[in-house]
Amino acid sequence: MERSFSEEIRSLALGAGETFHGEGILAVTKALLQSGVSYVGGYQGAPVSHLLDVMVQARETMDELGVHVEACANEASAAAMLGASIMYPVRGAVTWKSVVGTNVASDALSNLASPGVIGGAMIVVGEDYGEGASVIQERTHAFAMKSGLWLLDPRPNLPTIVRMVERGFELSEASSTPVILELRIRACHVRGSFVASDNVRPKISTRELQSEPAAFDYDRLAHPPATFDHERAKYELRMPAARRYIVDAGLNERFDGDLGELGIVVQGGLYNNLVRALQTLGLADARGRSRIPILNLNVVYPLVPEQLSEFCAGKRAVLILEEGQPEFIEQEISSILRRAAVATPLHGKDLLPMAGEYTAEVILSGLARYLQQHAPELPREAGERALREIGELRARAADLLGGQVPARPPGFCTGCPERPVFAALKLVEQDLGRLHVSADIGCHSFATFAPFSFGQSILGYGMSLASSAGVRNFSAKRPIAIMGDGGFWHNGLLSGVTSALLNQADGVLVIMKNGYTSATGTQETISTPSSESRRVAEGTSATGNETTIESTLKGLGVKWLRTVDNYRVDDVRKTLHEALTSSFDGLKVVIADGECQLERQRRLKPLRARALKEGRRVVRTRFGVDEDTCTGDHSCIRLSGCPTLTVKTPADPLKVDPVAHVTNDCVGCGLCGEVAHAAVLCPSFWRAEIVTHPTRWERLRARVRAALFRALQPA
Amino acid sequence: MSAARPFSILIAALGGEGGGVLNDWIVQCALASGLPVQTTSVPGVAQRTGSTSYYVELMREPLGDDAQPVFALSPMPGAVDVVLASELVEAGRMVERGFVNPQRTTLIAASHRVYTTREKMQMGDGRSDDATIHAAARALAARYVSLDMASIAAAHGTVISAVMFGALAGAGALPWPRETCERVIRDGGIGVQSSLAGFSAAFDAAATGAAREALAAAGVERAARASPEMWAPLLATLPAPMREHAAHGVARLIDYQDGAYARLYVERLRRLADASGAAGTSGGADRASASTGAALADAARHLALWMSYEDVIRVADLKSRRSRVERIRAEARVRQDELLDVVDYLRPGLDEVAAILPRALGMRLRSRAQRRGTLDQPGPGLHLPATRLHGLLMLRLLAWLRPLRRRSLRFHEEQQAIERWLAALVRSLAAAPQFAAALAGLPRVLKGYGDTQRRGRASFARIFDTLVERSLGNADAPTPSDATELRQAIEAALAEPAGRELERALERAGVTPLPPAEKPIVWSRKPRNAPSTVVTSR
Repeated sequence: MERSFSEEIRSLALGAGETFHGEGILAVTKALLQSGVSYVGGYQGAPVSHLLDVMVQARETMDELGVHVEACANEASAAAMLGASIMYPVRGAVTWKSVVGTNVASDALSNLASPGVIGGAMIVVGEDYGEGASVIQERTHAFAMKSGLWLLDPRPNLPTIVRMVERGFELSEASSTPVILELRIRACHVRGSFVASDNVRPKISTRELQSEPAAFDYDRLAHPPATFDHERAKYELRMPAARRYIVDAGLNERFDGDLGELGIVVQGGLYNNLVRALQTLGLADARGRSRIPILNLNVVYPLVPEQLSEFCAGKRAVLILEEGQPEFIEQEISSILRRAAVATPLHGKDLLPMAGEYTAEVILSGLARYLQQHAPELPREAGERALREIGELRARAADLLGGQVPARPPGFCTGCPERPVFAALKLVEQDLGRLHVSADIGCHSFATFAPFSFGQSILGYGMSLASSAGVRNFSAKRPIAIMGDGGFWHNGLLSGVTSALLNQADGVLVIMKNGYTSATGTQETISTPSSESRRVAEGTSATGNETTIESTLKGLGVKWLRTVDNYRVDDVRKTLHEALTSSFDGLKVVIADGECQLERQRRLKPLRARALKEGRRVVRTRFGVDEDTCTGDHSCIRLSGCPTLTVKTPADPLKVDPVAHVTNDCVGCGLCGEVAHAAVLCPSFWRAEIVTHPTRWERLRARVRAALFRALQPA
Repeated sequence: MSAARPFSILIAALGGEGGGVLNDWIVQCALASGLPVQTTSVPGVAQRTGSTSYYVELMREPLGDDAQPVFALSPMPGAVDVVLASELVEAGRMVERGFVNPQRTTLIAASHRVYTTREKMQMGDGRSDDATIHAAARALAARYVSLDMASIAAAHGTVISAVMFGALAGAGALPWPRETCERVIRDGGIGVQSSLAGFSAAFDAAATGAAREALAAAGVERAARASPEMWAPLLATLPAPMREHAAHGVARLIDYQDGAYARLYVERLRRLADASGAAGTSGGADRASASTGAALADAARHLALWMSYEDVIRVADLKSRRSRVERIRAEARVRQDELLDVVDYLRPGLDEVAAILPRALGMRLRSRAQRRGTLDQPGPGLHLPATRLHGLLMLRLLAWLRPLRRRSLRFHEEQQAIERWLAALVRSLAAAPQFAAALAGLPRVLKGYGDTQRRGRASFARIFDTLVERSLGNADAPTPSDATELRQAIEAALAEPAGRELERALERAGVTPLPPAEKPIVWSRKPRNAPSTVVTSR
């Protein structure tokens, strides 16, 4: 795993009265233990990876509590895990990145929601929305509504988040319904503190075993005719129960202010940005006390009609702050008020944008419009000045900068084993012309950026091969599908490979075998090399002897299967060329083998440091460019894009264009040299092998050489 | 209302630079000082070398009755107190997004560049202009502190986050003393000594005016190989605009071939000077129009580079010098007690071999290779151990062929091409100085080795045969618009390798473009649904 959580693991053990300092998502982890969960599962993905990562690393603590932690193969298996709470009074929680993870899980979710649960069930989703998001922009809210799951959207401060986790389980049990807790990106990464309470040992657990299985009860199966009763129960029994609990436990917060004729209804997750907007208008103080009454919804589904009509009644107008589309909450509130014959005018998406993140700035402009219409007597100058200034600032900046700020999208790390494959693919295109490339989710999707710009479509995690099923039948050239081992195990094996085999499809699949789900923080998969083989491999690739993927494909009946060493660009190129042109009719799979460089460096660095300390012989390799033979064409960069392969102003006063240059962060993966060879670029690349603490023999040989060289070598 | 206002710090960094650590340090300091604090970030996939940001809010004094303030999760444009950037363009990005406010914001930014892929991959020079970004920063920041953070970090063997922390504290932006920061770094327990060293160096740099100096430090010191003294009188006969490049050119060509070759270079320059009507005195040069001056200077530069074209002999010579090993030792930071082994990646093709053979022999080899279609095929890839005896011998043997170069096939061909270009310059210098200035820059498209070089030659020939011939073919002299077209064609040729941009530029100039190079359509036997026709879209 990319990150070590030793510090965080200690804070998971904190007892009553002690103060927890840390990330929002880790506060959730601690809150789960304080809620006495029996089992936790999930699938990694920003921004919630840490929840599971820290628990996986905290195995001892979990065992000691009797909590079972499972790193699931995908979100569907995580969601299915919650099935345990249908028939047993055990609390369980699962986590994933939404909306994509929820899509994958939705079959299990529907079948879970229908019978409902007796033990508290919670789904912690990272709402990957707005700045920093890496997925399609959709709302989890829709899933909650269509399946009848309750949706919590807590105010982004740690005490509230923790309280919502703990109360969320009670809500789930009070209404026999699974609960979704959604946290936006910044809420997951917010660092704050809360006063901890003791962890609770689950009554039924890996240590307190259940002697008998639950009784057979057909009515608890998601199967007709039971499903018809479930549907009725959802809205006749469970939702009213949920609403009662929401009111009794005071899950939604009402903040009164002296301007009682106005009112704002806000999703809990947006509360802090709302307060900042109010502060800018001079309508709230530093500790958040607002002059305009606020109804803060920590539970955004279901809404409590009485609560809303009571809050809105008799006001001049109410503003609803709801991020994303469509405006589910606004629509529901308007029908609630209509039914209750409350005539208060409603505003929301008419004053604020339908799409995009609700930052303090966006909320401020909406608020200003709202006040202008319904409280023109209130001072708005401060806010409007702020907005004007922002506009002017941006205009001046754009003018001064004159487009001199290039975009900097994420890219492959230094020494990444996936980069050479795309370098080879570029060379193949030089021979065969442009190809249709079905891209996938994972680090390899960085190949959609410069200098590679590969990929006609991205259809989801592990979907690349499936998404070329249509294309390959009307394309003269074979399309090529790229998939990571993460995507392969998450979904690609079934959705892609078996489907292609079933249809005897004539496709090409490239599987990046780097050993981990690297993009999400190098979590382990079923084909991750064993810790022993990693120990032995030290700084070299450890994936070579791990053949789970190969044997799986052979077992399925894949006839055309090649494994290549990524860094041998010429071999990769030849293999891809063969796969694309071979007369073999059927699925052709190329396994591009090379361990994630992050993991290799993580092993290598301490080993090297120790060896140097102990004065043992250490060789470090790096590449470089002879600037006096480099002509500044930069073909090497167009084929690599390595962060350490960059440009610099030439020392030669006659040369016009910058020359290529390798920085000292180079890890010596060898790609530059290989590309220089494979593409017949230029003779400027050199490999330096630097020996620290050389042997006596080496030193002697070096002295002799030096003497000879002096005779032969000009200055 | 709103008495105490939260103090906000926005940190712009690149993924993997340890911005998270810096974040933690600030939080620890605030907690140690009993101040309410909150930080957020949006790492996600940006962790992988992309631009990312961290946002900190804190109160400069406690609210009292231990009430907790409500902090915002994202920075509000125009309302940030300190913007701290680990790289120059990232600083520019923050300015662009409106986070740097002249009424409020202290901008503390690294002055070094980490070039983006888009900037690096251009065939010419795609780098953003540092001066523009510095200017915008200076104009829009209430206070702009620019620091060479990369050098400070390197000098103290630490990471940039420690240096950024030092700069932040040194600029007096933090409501707690230096000691607090240093204590927190110590408690961190990892790389403490180097972190502290980097921290205090940056602290002092930011605290004293030293920081401002970083602004001046731009560009690299250029190691001008000065020409021998005895050449001075001869060079003095050239117009002023030529002299600097000519001096470097002479030195380069002596080093490349011999004195006679350098003299040929000066004679060629002389011809251009005479054609331009600019006399040898600097006074004469003044009379020459600006574009004549530019044309002469650029011609001197490109003629020198062209005459010292890189062939196998040259490469072998440059790679087998002592100075080269020294340079690598310095670049790779090889300590004296460490041993260095250098391996070169060479792959000369038949074409390169033919190039250095005597003309007749080279021609025969090439035409034979052409018949067999092996001309463009690369030779075997060599890993040449340049620091081993046999490796060095191989390189020196090649380098020793230098005297034979004058009789080699490529030498002959290059001289012909050069003469053709010079003739065109001579014809246009006096009549159409602007056109000549553009034409003088044409050899810039000649670059690289192997395919790259073939491509460059093709672009050169293509532009010369169309625009240049056309403009000089006319009875009346080339017009300024001819000059513009030529300039644009040169830029287009350097815009992308496939040469489509060039063809588009030529089309705009009224030249019928060439069709794109044919690519084979490879398609496989499809027994179940063999396509009746193959449609290719391009």
